[in-house]
Amino acid sequence: MRVNPNFVPDVLAGLQQSQTALNTALQEVSTGKRVTQPSDDPAASANMVQNTIETNDVDQYTQNVTGQLSMVQTADSALGSVVSSLTQAVSLGVEGANGTMNASNQQAIATQVQGILSSVVSLANTSYQGSYLFGGTANTQVPYTASATAASGYQYNGNSGVNSVAVGDNLNVQVNVPGSEIFSNSSNDVLGSLSSLVSALQGGNPTAIQTATSTVSSALNYVSQQRVFYGNAETQLNSQETYLQQETVSLASQQNSLVGVDMATAATALTQAQTANSAALAAAAKVLPTTLLDYLVPPQ
Amino acid sequence: MGGLSTSLLIGVEALQTTQGALTATSNNIANANTAGYTREVPQFSENQQTHEGNEVINGGVSLTGLQSVRDQLLNLQIQNQTSLQSSADTQSSLLQQVQTYFTTTGEDITSELSAFSTSLAQLSANASSSAVKQGVLSSGQNLAQAFNTTANGLTSAQSDANTQVTQTVAQINSLTSQIAQLNGQVAQLTAAGKDGGTTEDQRDELVQQLSSLTGISVMQTSDGETITTGNGTPLVMGSNSFSLQTTTGTDGMQHVLDWSGNDITTSIQGGQLGGAIQIRDQVIPGYLSQLNTLASQFSASFNAAQAMGFDSNGNAGQSFFTVPASGAAAGMSVSITNPSQIAVSSDGSAGSNGNVASLTAVLTNALPSGQTPAQAYANLIDQVGTAASGASTESTAIGQNLLQLTNQQSSVSGVSIDEETTNLIRFQTAYEAAARIVSTIQQLNTDTMNMMS
Repeated sequence: MRVNPNFVPDVLAGLQQSQTALNTALQEVSTGKRVTQPSDDPAASANMVQNTIETNDVDQYTQNVTGQLSMVQTADSALGSVVSSLTQAVSLGVEGANGTMNASNQQAIATQVQGILSSVVSLANTSYQGSYLFGGTANTQVPYTASATAASGYQYNGNSGVNSVAVGDNLNVQVNVPGSEIFSNSSNDVLGSLSSLVSALQGGNPTAIQTATSTVSSALNYVSQQRVFYGNAETQLNSQETYLQQETVSLASQQNSLVGVDMATAATALTQAQTANSAALAAAAKVLPTTLLDYLVPPQ
Repeated sequence: MGGLSTSLLIGVEALQTTQGALTATSNNIANANTAGYTREVPQFSENQQTHEGNEVINGGVSLTGLQSVRDQLLNLQIQNQTSLQSSADTQSSLLQQVQTYFTTTGEDITSELSAFSTSLAQLSANASSSAVKQGVLSSGQNLAQAFNTTANGLTSAQSDANTQVTQTVAQINSLTSQIAQLNGQVAQLTAAGKDGGTTEDQRDELVQQLSSLTGISVMQTSDGETITTGNGTPLVMGSNSFSLQTTTGTDGMQHVLDWSGNDITTSIQGGQLGGAIQIRDQVIPGYLSQLNTLASQFSASFNAAQAMGFDSNGNAGQSFFTVPASGAAAGMSVSITNPSQIAVSSDGSAGSNGNVASLTAVLTNALPSGQTPAQAYANLIDQVGTAASGASTESTAIGQNLLQLTNQQSSVSGVSIDEETTNLIRFQTAYEAAARIVSTIQQLNTDTMNMMS
C-alpha cells in the first residue's frame, strides 16, 4: 500500500488538538473555573441555577434572622420590664390592702400604681425601627392611647394580625404577638387590672384592693406565659442562624464541586498540555521540511 | 523498413514518450499543493515488433496517456462525512451564539431570578420599607428584561441562521452550474475513452465543496455524474443544473424550493444548509417555546399571588407582570409602576407582610408545568449546554473520521515529492539514454555514408 505522502493535515490536527488542550488548561487555571459556559458541563450549569438562587437567598435569610432576632429581643425585654412592673404593682397592692394603711398612704400607693400603669402603657407602645411591636399588623400607629371612654383609660388602636418572616425556603417564623393578646386580653386585661387597682387604692377598701391585686397577679402570670412566645421565637431564630451558616458553607462547597477547578489537577493538566504542545511542535519542525531533494546533489 | 531507421524511430519515440512522462512529473510537482489535484501517472505501452529474417521492424514505446489515480468510493465517503461535519460545525457555531445568553453574566435569567427571590426574602423582614419594595420592583423589572434579552438573543441567532440559508442556497446554485459545465466536459472525454484528468479533478473538488453546503447523493451515469440532495431533489444531471430557490414562508423564514417550486425545506439534511435549517426550525423554536411557557406561567402565578393580597394603600393587588399572548418572554414587562402597589399585606393593613409568603412561594412551588421556575430554567440550560457540547463533540469526531479518509485518499491520489523526484531522475536517465540512441544512429549513418565516398 502506498504511504500517504502528505502528512501536513495530520501534523496540523495534532498541533490543533494540543493547542486546544493547552488553551482549556490555561483558561481553567486562570479563571479557577471548570465551567464557564453551559456546554462545558450542562448538568453542572443546570444545578448552578438552584445553587445561585439558594446562595443569595441564604444570605438574605441570615440578614432576616439577625434583624428579627434583635427585634424579638427588644420585644422580650419590653415584656420583661412589664413583668417586673407588674410584680412591683402586686407588692404595692398587698401593701395597700394592709389594714394599718391610712388613706393618704393608700393615695400615695395609688399614685405609684398609676405610674406603673403609664410605664406599662409606654412599654406596650415600644417601637423597633419605626414600627410598633405590639400593634399587630397595624404597626404604624401608636397601639395604646389615652381614652376617656375605655374602662382602663386606654384604647387599643392596633389589630389582631401577626407577621411571619421568611428565614428559610418555605420557613416563616412568627415574630409578633398583637398587643390585644398581651395587654388588653378580655380574660387577662393587664391595663384594666392595673387601672382597677388604682381605683381600689383610691377607694381605700382593703377587700377591693385585695381582689384587684389578685387580678393583677393573674395578669402577671399571663404576661409571663406570653413572654415564652418570644423566648421560643428567639430559640428558633438562633437555631435557624446556625443552620443557615452550615447551609452557606455547604452551598459554597457544592458550587466549587460543580463549576470550580481543583488547582492541583488543573496545574498538572496545564503542564502536561504544555509538554504535549512543545513535543508536537518540535516533531513538526523536524519532519516537515525533509524530502529526497535535501540529499540529492544539485545539478552542475 | 528495418535497420537503422527503425532504431532511429524507436529513439525518437523514446524521447517523445520520456518528454511526456517528464511533463506529467513536472505537472505533479507543480500541483503538489493544489486542492483536489489527483496525481497523474504516465501510461507507457510497448509497440508491436515484427521480425523479417534478421531484421526487426517497428517496436519502441508510446505514451498512451496520463492516468489520474483516484478512488471514487473514497470520494463518496469523504463527501458524505464532509456534509455531516459541516452540518455539525454550523450547528455548533450557532449554538455557541445561543448559549452565551444562558451563561452567568450577572444579567442573565439565573442571576435576575436569584435577585428577585432575594429581594422578596428581604421584603418579608422589611414589609413597610419603601426602599425594599422599590428593590423588589427593580429586580422584577430586571428579571423581565433578562427574559427579553434571552428571547431576543434566541431570535437573533435564528435570524442569523435564516440569512445563512439564503446565502448557502446562492452558493449551492453557483456550484451546481459550474459542476454541470465540467460534468459535460468530463462526459465527452470519457466517451472518447480518455481520462478526465484535471477537468475531473476540478469537478470533484467542486462536488466536495457542494457536499459541505448540503447533504448530496452522487451517481455515475453515462452523462457524467447525477447529483441530488439526500432526499432526491435533482441538482445536477449531466450538463444540466437545477437551481434551488428561496422564498419567504408564512413563518417569516426563508423556505427552500426545488427547481419546480416544491417546498423541500423540511427534507434538507446535512451540510451548512441542513445545519442552519435544523437550528432555525427545530432547536431554537424549541428553546423559545419553553422560555415563553416559563415566562407566561411564572407571570401568571406571580400575578395570582399578587391578587391574593393587598397593596400599601389597602387595595387588592394588581398584576405585577404583563406578558403578551404570543412571544411571552420577549414581551414580558412589569405592569405596576409604584413600589406601593406590591401586594405585601394579607389583611389590608399597611404593616402586614402576610402576602409576601405567597409571593415567595411562586419561586419555590411548582408552576403548572410541574417544575419550579428555577427547575424549568435549569432544564433549559441543560438542553442548550448538551446541544452545544454535542454538536462540537460530533464535529470533532467526524473530523477524526474525515482526517482518516483524507489520509487514505491522499495515499492513493496525493503527490509525493520523493516519488516525483525519483521519477525525475528515472526519466532524466531515460531521456539521456534515448538521446544517446539518436546520436549513435546518427554516427552509424555517417559511417555508412563514409563507406560510399
